[in-house]
Amino acid sequence: MRNCKKTKRDLVAFLYNECNEIDKKQMEAHLETCQECKQELLELREVYEAADTLNADMEKALASVEWENFPAQIASVLDKDPTRYRQPRRAGFWTFLFQPRFRLAYAGLLLGIVVGSVVTFLIFRSPPLQIAEDGRIIAPQGFYDMMELEMARRETIDYLDRSEYLLLDFVQSSPEKSVEFWQTEHASRRAMDLLSKKKYIDPQLDKIKLAKAKFICDQIEFLFFELMQISDDLAAEELKKIQRLIQERQLLLKIKLVRKELQKSEV
Amino acid sequence: MAALKIPEFCGDLTETIKMQAQKRNQPDEINNLVQRVQNEDREAFMVLTQLYQRKVFQLAYSYFHNREDAMDIVQETFLRFYQKAHMFQKGKNFQNWLLQIAKNICIDYYRKHHKRDNEWRRDENIEKVRTPSNESSHHDPSSDIKDIFSRCLVKLSDKQRMIFVMKHYNHLHYSEIASILNIALGTVKSLHFKAVRNLRTLMSPYMGRMG
Repeated sequence: MRNCKKTKRDLVAFLYNECNEIDKKQMEAHLETCQECKQELLELREVYEAADTLNADMEKALASVEWENFPAQIASVLDKDPTRYRQPRRAGFWTFLFQPRFRLAYAGLLLGIVVGSVVTFLIFRSPPLQIAEDGRIIAPQGFYDMMELEMARRETIDYLDRSEYLLLDFVQSSPEKSVEFWQTEHASRRAMDLLSKKKYIDPQLDKIKLAKAKFICDQIEFLFFELMQISDDLAAEELKKIQRLIQERQLLLKIKLVRKELQKSEV
Repeated sequence: MAALKIPEFCGDLTETIKMQAQKRNQPDEINNLVQRVQNEDREAFMVLTQLYQRKVFQLAYSYFHNREDAMDIVQETFLRFYQKAHMFQKGKNFQNWLLQIAKNICIDYYRKHHKRDNEWRRDENIEKVRTPSNESSHHDPSSDIKDIFSRCLVKLSDKQRMIFVMKHYNHLHYSEIASILNIALGTVKSLHFKAVRNLRTLMSPYMGRMG
């Protein structure tokens, strides 16, 4: 059995015959018994009938139009301004491509691209520095290359430092003592050390970034090598000449400059 | 319904079109005609106009209660249809689609031409409308009901009014209205209910006198 609330809600649909058969029968049964709903239906029917009063006007208006000629009349408007009412040209390639019904497909495609690129990034990005269980550092190749370059830089700076001091000592020593200078154990060991160190950093200096440093280091090496080889036989005169040569060529200044450059440029 | 009856075609329409028009109830035929309109076929356009002009007129007339406005709407609707024929999706109900165009034009037209008229009318007291009590006794009471009713109808919101008109005067089913207005069936039902109830409330002070 229907209650009043539900019946009242469906009264308009009932009035306009929009209820299904079951609802209709239930409504009729309820209306038989419920005076209040029946009264409401009567009031709604009054509205319905009031609305019907306009029907006659509509029929009159409908009859007053010459419908047979009306289509031709409208078509004549089309002829008056054919450009305005022209059908748009058949959809071209781009219109076809951007029609709204592809929206979903394009959204999916875009999503696919975004997700795909995120996944690719996550898979192929260089993994962070890891320390394995046995204490080894696991790092990408690029990291090792950078480390190597940094080491070379530091070694070169150190090499340049020490060469500078040794040359400074040599240049500042008096001409008389310069022969002895190279004969002392201390100086010759320092020179030997430097020569061996040069051999160690040589392969690293081959890298392009250190080309300038390599040039000057080679010069220094050559100088020490010559000095070590021949200093025993050299006269004081000759050594003095070499001292002057070092000063003239401003080798010390060059060393300083290259060192500074190396210190500044963090690899 | 009377509107669906096809009158004598004007002379320049060919026999074949007549035949096609008579099969109008078959959606395939209508689709065919629309397709021809898409290719700028004037004859097909005129056949479709012939078939549906009354439907559109009924909707427009019941919305405006004015013959001239309704004629304007019919003309504008078919011109718009001609322009937008390419947007008709095959398989959809042509009548619903056309009435959707008509409905949009009605609402635009109303806003453009009548909104202001009705704003002051809305403020006007319905009491001023002639009622049997303050008019001469020989006056026809049904024309008062008509007057009061049409004034009440204007007071409804656009949507309620449109749904009421479509249901009452165009005898469209709720499902057709839902498809034309592009809203849910339940919404149509509840808006129609509200429209009728509002009309009853608006008219209730005069109900007793009108009988």
